[in-house]
Amino acid sequence: MGKVIVVTSGKGGVGKTTSTANLGTALALIGKTVAVVDADVGLRNLDVVMGLESRIIYTSMDVIEKQCELQKALVRDRRVEGLMLLAASQKNDKDDIQPEQMKSICQRLTVNYDFVLVDSPAGIERGFQNAAAGAEEAIIVTTPDVSAIRDADRIIGLLQNARVEPINLVLNRFSPDLVKSGNMLDKSDVLDILNIELLGIIPEDEAVIASTNRGIPLVHSTSSSAAQAYMRIARRLSGQQIPIPDLHAKNFFSGIMEWFSRKR
Amino acid sequence: MAHPIVTLRAYGDGLRLIIRPNLSITEIEEAIQQELARMNPPLSETSVQIDMRAPVLTDKELERLKTKLQKTYNLQTREVASPDETAAPVVVAAPATHTISQTLMLSHNESSEQSRIVPQTIRSGQTEDFPQGSLIIYGDVNQGAEVRAGGDVIVLGALRGSAHAGTNGRLSAVVIAMELVPLHLQIGNYINPPLLGQKSRGYPEIAHIGSKDIIVVERFVKF
Repeated sequence: MGKVIVVTSGKGGVGKTTSTANLGTALALIGKTVAVVDADVGLRNLDVVMGLESRIIYTSMDVIEKQCELQKALVRDRRVEGLMLLAASQKNDKDDIQPEQMKSICQRLTVNYDFVLVDSPAGIERGFQNAAAGAEEAIIVTTPDVSAIRDADRIIGLLQNARVEPINLVLNRFSPDLVKSGNMLDKSDVLDILNIELLGIIPEDEAVIASTNRGIPLVHSTSSSAAQAYMRIARRLSGQQIPIPDLHAKNFFSGIMEWFSRKR
Repeated sequence: MAHPIVTLRAYGDGLRLIIRPNLSITEIEEAIQQELARMNPPLSETSVQIDMRAPVLTDKELERLKTKLQKTYNLQTREVASPDETAAPVVVAAPATHTISQTLMLSHNESSEQSRIVPQTIRSGQTEDFPQGSLIIYGDVNQGAEVRAGGDVIVLGALRGSAHAGTNGRLSAVVIAMELVPLHLQIGNYINPPLLGQKSRGYPEIAHIGSKDIIVVERFVKF
């Protein structure tokens, strides 16, 4: 039996979908079987980020309406073994699905997959409730912005009330340079406010934008720092003890080194 | 929320009795009796300033009230603030022989009150409301969260959200937090101390209503 983990944030645009795609792929790369479920009915994105949009025939709505079997609705990612996507319907609306129906889908997926990652839509309304309905655990994605942190705090409260445990934090788009210049909240400030376990820190990385637009999750190429961070998180999720490295601001020397490596 | 008929509050070196407008003398006397009965130890030999921001009592009734305060409770009326004379209140009675300090007010008048302990952090969007008494929070009150108590609000963590102590109008209520960096702070109907900023000063602090009708924040040592 696998476990259902909802990836959520409250605020939009902090990297839920990117994180779901990369963590799903990373878990599959280290040998786990993974089903990623897009719960953003009506505004689906996960298929695009994973580069699977052309292959979707059935969606979770068709499964609920018994138009097709659950196994048939899953789209296999050809780039890595053991990774499946269950897309959301683009024609419907979040109110067309009941939390109970989502829960049942997630539970059926745990029979065959080690990890069921549910990509939650932004907000705290029905979409979020659907996504969280079947979750045993949660990953909160936040950026080090006050607005994102406040929304994350709200979501943590809701998840705690729903007895989702543990709730772990992924701090996304972290920039040590901005922290050093005093323009970004530090890791400790964020953890002070949210008071949950830190699962990992994803550094701000331009490679994320490129990979999203190409439809190839970043973790397929291990060179970028964000990809390495996602791989470490995947290993932690699978139970390995991997320390969270401290990200340091660039100094003169590392700046020169980076400039050279970019030139090549 | 009903506004109390009378409110007693520390003011300068004595007490101030605030009376709600448009009430009969009997209602006021009854309310005063109830308010003073709650005081432990009983107040006596304290000077009192009667505050009537709106015309409430006739001169005759006022005289009767002053005599009653003197006779029944041994309280001396020092001055009466009325709407016409708020700028320069008339000194009516002799100065105090005994003053009530802020700290004494805090520790002794809520002995009969209940309190509720909340064993977790209150997060954005969550509210804790306890009109019957004081709230003690074992955790933080985050931005976007709200705590309201009829009595005191005590946060054994950081207070970053909104806090309202003395929701029933009791102005002796206080707010104490290990890190007092609230978005909004209200005591009774007084709102927000002078700007506190969002940076903790590294020690516990107490907010209470000071003698000059403002919320004062100072380092918290003990009750």
